[in-house]
Amino acid sequence: MKQFTYIVKDPLGIHARPAGQIVKQAKEYPDTLVTITKGEKTVNATHLMKLMSLGVKTGDTIVLTCEGPNEENALEVIGNFLCDNL
Amino acid sequence: MALDYRKCAEEIFSHLGGRENVISAAHCATRLRLAIADNGKVDVPALEDTEGVKGVFNSNGQLQLIIGTGTVNKVYEEFLAITGMTAATKEEVKAAAAAKQPLPQKMVKTLGDVFVPILPAIVAAGLMMGLVQALGKVIPSFAGSNWYGFLDMVSSTAFAYLPVLVAISSARVFGGNLFLGGVVGLAMINSSLINAWSVAGMESIPSWQLLFFNVHQVGYQSHVIPVIIAVWLMCWIEKRLHKIVPEIIDLFVTPLVTVLATTFITFTVIGPIFSTAETYILSFAQWLVTVGYGVGALVMGAIYPLTVVCGLHHMYNVIEVGMLSSAEGLNIWMPIASAANFAQCGACLAVAVKTHQMKTRTVAVPSALSASLGITEPAIFGVNFRFMKPFICGMIGGAAGAMFGSIVGLGGSSYGVTGFPGYLIINKPLLYTILLAISGGVAFLLTMVAWKDPEAAEKKQQSKIVMTCEAGQILAPTAGKVVPHTQIPDETFAGGILGQGVGIVPEEDVVVAPFDGVISSTAQTQHAVGITGPGDMEVLIHIGVDTVKMQGDGFQVLVKEGDKVTAGQPLIRFSRKKIQAAGYSDMVVVLLTNCDEYTQFQVLDHTAKA
Repeated sequence: MKQFTYIVKDPLGIHARPAGQIVKQAKEYPDTLVTITKGEKTVNATHLMKLMSLGVKTGDTIVLTCEGPNEENALEVIGNFLCDNL
Repeated sequence: MALDYRKCAEEIFSHLGGRENVISAAHCATRLRLAIADNGKVDVPALEDTEGVKGVFNSNGQLQLIIGTGTVNKVYEEFLAITGMTAATKEEVKAAAAAKQPLPQKMVKTLGDVFVPILPAIVAAGLMMGLVQALGKVIPSFAGSNWYGFLDMVSSTAFAYLPVLVAISSARVFGGNLFLGGVVGLAMINSSLINAWSVAGMESIPSWQLLFFNVHQVGYQSHVIPVIIAVWLMCWIEKRLHKIVPEIIDLFVTPLVTVLATTFITFTVIGPIFSTAETYILSFAQWLVTVGYGVGALVMGAIYPLTVVCGLHHMYNVIEVGMLSSAEGLNIWMPIASAANFAQCGACLAVAVKTHQMKTRTVAVPSALSASLGITEPAIFGVNFRFMKPFICGMIGGAAGAMFGSIVGLGGSSYGVTGFPGYLIINKPLLYTILLAISGGVAFLLTMVAWKDPEAAEKKQQSKIVMTCEAGQILAPTAGKVVPHTQIPDETFAGGILGQGVGIVPEEDVVVAPFDGVISSTAQTQHAVGITGPGDMEVLIHIGVDTVKMQGDGFQVLVKEGDKVTAGQPLIRFSRKKIQAAGYSDMVVVLLTNCDEYTQFQVLDHTAKA
């Protein structure tokens, strides 16, 4: 299991568009469980609605968790996406 | 890039088939509305391709082009400048569209236009008249009382002088002088003429010899159609005269000649045509009821309401009196009339139940009550005939009930009452109950099935299905032109990253639930909502593109996460004005975010009709 903690800097937070992009990337790793946690709540990152329902805003701390055969790869790619875009 | 209004208007005009093909033009919030003489000359595909035109469709005889808020008025001004047309009001465009309707539709519409304004007068009066007369039958002492006399007089006034009300209303519809119309109506029921209701039993009818015409001195009580025709003629004459008569003598010459000519033609031509038709229908009806096995009754039960529309029902007393004075003394006409009337009551009641418009319901409920007491004019003219289908359903119900009544040998011992008051004169009350149940029930059920509230039908049309998959259907959450998601002006949406679906150019400021489901997420910024439906379909409704940057200004989410919603329930209200003012596209994005979980997912193509 690999984890990456990130503070969201984008003024708009994780809204529909970035959420969709995260989902798209998470789906690239069908054998790896990708989740995002904000506070007490953890959601599957392949699930757009749940991801959006986290309501991540700017300044929020989120934890990206990857677990499975491809966890390193997934963490690398999705983590990078977070840094670049959010 | 801002739209070149002039160019847009010129291009639209070039596809319309010439100046003479455009009758009138108007615009509403988003649409340019044109009344077109010949739709065949309009190049619709070219119009759809015109820059600035977001959609083209034909509705209610109008050609409507969706152009957009804030733009349509400018294109419209250019359009007027190019065509040299003057601004038409929406009403004028509607009227021009109405003029294009086929004749039968136009006639029904005219009848409706004439009757709607006088409904308040006849609906209440009909109900009261039915009640008073029924009470008079139940309590014989009441029938002779002063109160009965007074109440009967008041309530029957609107019906006794119906031609006057119809005449005034018709004059307004046809654009003539209301008071001249009133005079024509009054002349047709002038008290020096014999009342149409009493003429039936008379041996000889006094008449005037006018030129070659032998004019019966009979009034037009309870007539409708001849009155409307007479007033239409009057308005036609009046308008012609106003044009040719010198102004200085116009005030006395025009009204005088108008009224004289109209009444003369009415009494010599229009009237006799109708009374001849009446005589034939009367003999036909008399023969019809003698046809056995309930067949005659079936036909009569069906056409009875038509004769009411034509104002011919006042002659039926003759038939009833004749039956009562015959050897058997049984009024078998009354069950037929009762079935026909009660069926109109059933149909009217169904309209009251089914309509979504309070206005229609407030007319339909008392009209149905009045019809149940045997006074059907309010139900027929105020409700059923206007919508046509309920009227026809009522005819079918009446036919069924009348046939039953004839087969089981129902009959009355007196005449003049139908519906509930009919119990007072009927020979077999139990079977009569069944007759009422059949006629009213059949008409009610048929109307419930066959008739749709035009308003509701329009709503339904708006919520067209935009996507389907094996889990179910997804309805359009807002009205407007539908485009595939690949045409959404945003690469994330267009690229299908969030799922597949459609974009809708909204024509209203609300989005509604596309199916029964549960709200799975709402955005902080109020511009998007996720909803989970049957078979775990997850639909994202996202209003506008980049509208997240508006931070909720102009949006109002009406639901919260976890709420159960039903299809059509409003979810978010938004302001197209504010979105456009902020410089964003207001396209409503509707995506099935988990579309790859379904094998039979498909987006329905709406681009053809939009």
